[in-house]
Amino acid sequence: MSPRQLLASLATVGLMALFGFGVWTVLGTLQTRGSNVADPTQQQALVALPGTLVVAQNGSLYSLHGLSFSKLDTAPGNWVQVAPGPSGDLLAVDKGNGYSNVLLLNQQGQTIRTLLSESSTQFFNNHFAYYPRLSSNRQTLFYAWNWVDPSANYNVDFQIQAVPLANPGTTPTQWSIPNYYQGGDVEPLPLSNGGLIYAKYAVNTTTGATYSQLVSVSSPESQLNYLTTPAQNCSEPALNPQATELAMICTDNQTQTSTLQVASWNGSSLGPIRLLSAGPMAAMPTWSPDGKSLVFMDPLKRSYPFQMWWVPNAAGSKPGVPQQVTQNLSLTATSAPVWYP
Amino acid sequence: MAAGTRPRRRRAGLSTHKSSFSWGRHRTLLAFLVVVGFAISGLSGVVAYFLPAVTTAFHVTGQATTGKGGRNGTSKGTIQATATPPPPGAPFTVLLLGSDNDAKFVAGQVLTQTMILVRVDPQTHKAVMLSIPRDLWVPIASGGSAKIDAAYLDGGATDAIQTVENNFGISVNYWAWIGLGGLVQLVNQLGGVDVIAQMPILDDQYPYDLTGNNPYANQRIAVLPGPQRLDGVNALTYVRSRHGDILEDIARSQKQQQLLVDIKDAAKHLNLTDIPRIASALGNGVRTDMALTQLSSIAALAKDFSNGGVQQVVMLPPDYSNAVINGQDALAPNWPVINALVAQYFPK
Repeated sequence: MSPRQLLASLATVGLMALFGFGVWTVLGTLQTRGSNVADPTQQQALVALPGTLVVAQNGSLYSLHGLSFSKLDTAPGNWVQVAPGPSGDLLAVDKGNGYSNVLLLNQQGQTIRTLLSESSTQFFNNHFAYYPRLSSNRQTLFYAWNWVDPSANYNVDFQIQAVPLANPGTTPTQWSIPNYYQGGDVEPLPLSNGGLIYAKYAVNTTTGATYSQLVSVSSPESQLNYLTTPAQNCSEPALNPQATELAMICTDNQTQTSTLQVASWNGSSLGPIRLLSAGPMAAMPTWSPDGKSLVFMDPLKRSYPFQMWWVPNAAGSKPGVPQQVTQNLSLTATSAPVWYP
Repeated sequence: MAAGTRPRRRRAGLSTHKSSFSWGRHRTLLAFLVVVGFAISGLSGVVAYFLPAVTTAFHVTGQATTGKGGRNGTSKGTIQATATPPPPGAPFTVLLLGSDNDAKFVAGQVLTQTMILVRVDPQTHKAVMLSIPRDLWVPIASGGSAKIDAAYLDGGATDAIQTVENNFGISVNYWAWIGLGGLVQLVNQLGGVDVIAQMPILDDQYPYDLTGNNPYANQRIAVLPGPQRLDGVNALTYVRSRHGDILEDIARSQKQQQLLVDIKDAAKHLNLTDIPRIASALGNGVRTDMALTQLSSIAALAKDFSNGGVQQVVMLPPDYSNAVINGQDALAPNWPVINALVAQYFPK
């Protein structure tokens, strides 16, 4: 064999080895894991919505303006559940290990002050505070807080309570009395008349069915006015700025499908329901500042990460078809977006 | 000269022909060898990619259904599998077992906190899941009576299957067991699962046994209600916590069935190249008597099942009643009612 032939043979063998390695590598790239989840700042929105939205993903907060995302400059933490603050700023929950605090952030995400500090060196003094919402006069902070039964500490349920925003360290006013051992009451939605809508969870111990109902109350611990039935199984209420349309998420536990529905609201009851999205896992609707459209979370397909979707003319009699706003993200579906003008 | 040259030319001509023929054969052979070489190399790449999966799968799947001797030494121990594969296309039943296998327990000697019978009908694309309460007081295959969760502790999958078959009159075709870490890994390897949490899950005394140093310690957990994507740890939390639920184990069984459906949905997106990663990650967290080929067939079958086609059944009173038996809080079965339930959902 001549040196040239030897060289050619070696090169061929090398190419063969490279080919085998290439096959191994290509197979690895065909894996489906991760479903292309990207950092929002590396992505462009598919639809330019007016104003600015704030969303949560993987413990960080991002603002969406036009087609571009920016990461908010929050302190290190696990940030979820943003809500409008008293003056164009933000309420947000910082989730810890066994507790969660509520803070007031500026629009850049920097901490202005801690409103609810639920962490403690004593285990049983730790608590969860979630779903912060301000009253319409922006003076009262409503939230869901895990109440622990002093006589039976297996019995832990969320209850709705409220504190003055100016002095959140005062003793909270309890607004709801949860059903014992049934999850409790969450998602407070303060009304302009001083009342409150929230989602109340319950269990039918005969059938084993778990469900939530939207209820309204006029004052703390007052009589419940049920807005939806157990069979409707609705939660996550969102009222448009005109307080005429209530969006909500209603779930079929058998098929594990949640849908986005809207009904007119007259201050005490709901009108006929309109289906805006059949899911499969619609979550956390938020109205636009003008109250005409709304956004919500939903995976592209069942068992895909959650994206944001937009429904034009959601308050009208002929709502538009949901349009996908984000792609390749994995937005926190238990955090409703904030939508500023 | 001319006479001398012609044969030479002929010879020369013949020689050239033979030489080019030989070179042609040589080139063909060489090309063939190169192609074969590349094929072998490519195949080696495929084998190298899937070998870890096959190795792991060999340990995880195709488990013999034998007992472990039992804590009382009364187990039938090495009795061969009672599980028998069904005829092709016929409905089949899988017994799913789940255990708390954290550091509190001796490896392999665990109760089954979860027992779910799944009947799959490939023809109708329908499935039924029936959860068996762990505290149900029944005759155990190893002898005597006990809570049904002790059957696996006594005699492994054999006794668990025999106990279920003897008491419920159901023929079990396959079994699968999963531990805490196995479930966490499975969900993580799927990239998370989309779940609609049916209610807020709050538990101030949730075991801190997966990540903490003290397996007897507790922690405070919260899983918020509604649609969301859960990673492995949070998915486990959702289906494991029971303290804050008025239905306790019943609610836990419901959530476990729900998660199974969610896992089925997530697994629809997988392809063949995902298998090595998942098999490697699961390690000892999963055991089954199903062969890899059977698992693949069932996975393919699951893709055709809609969530509406999967019926979820849990036992509620009057299927049983609370009782104290041998000093233990247990559930006394109401067999006429249970038998009717079984006949309805697991026809022979």
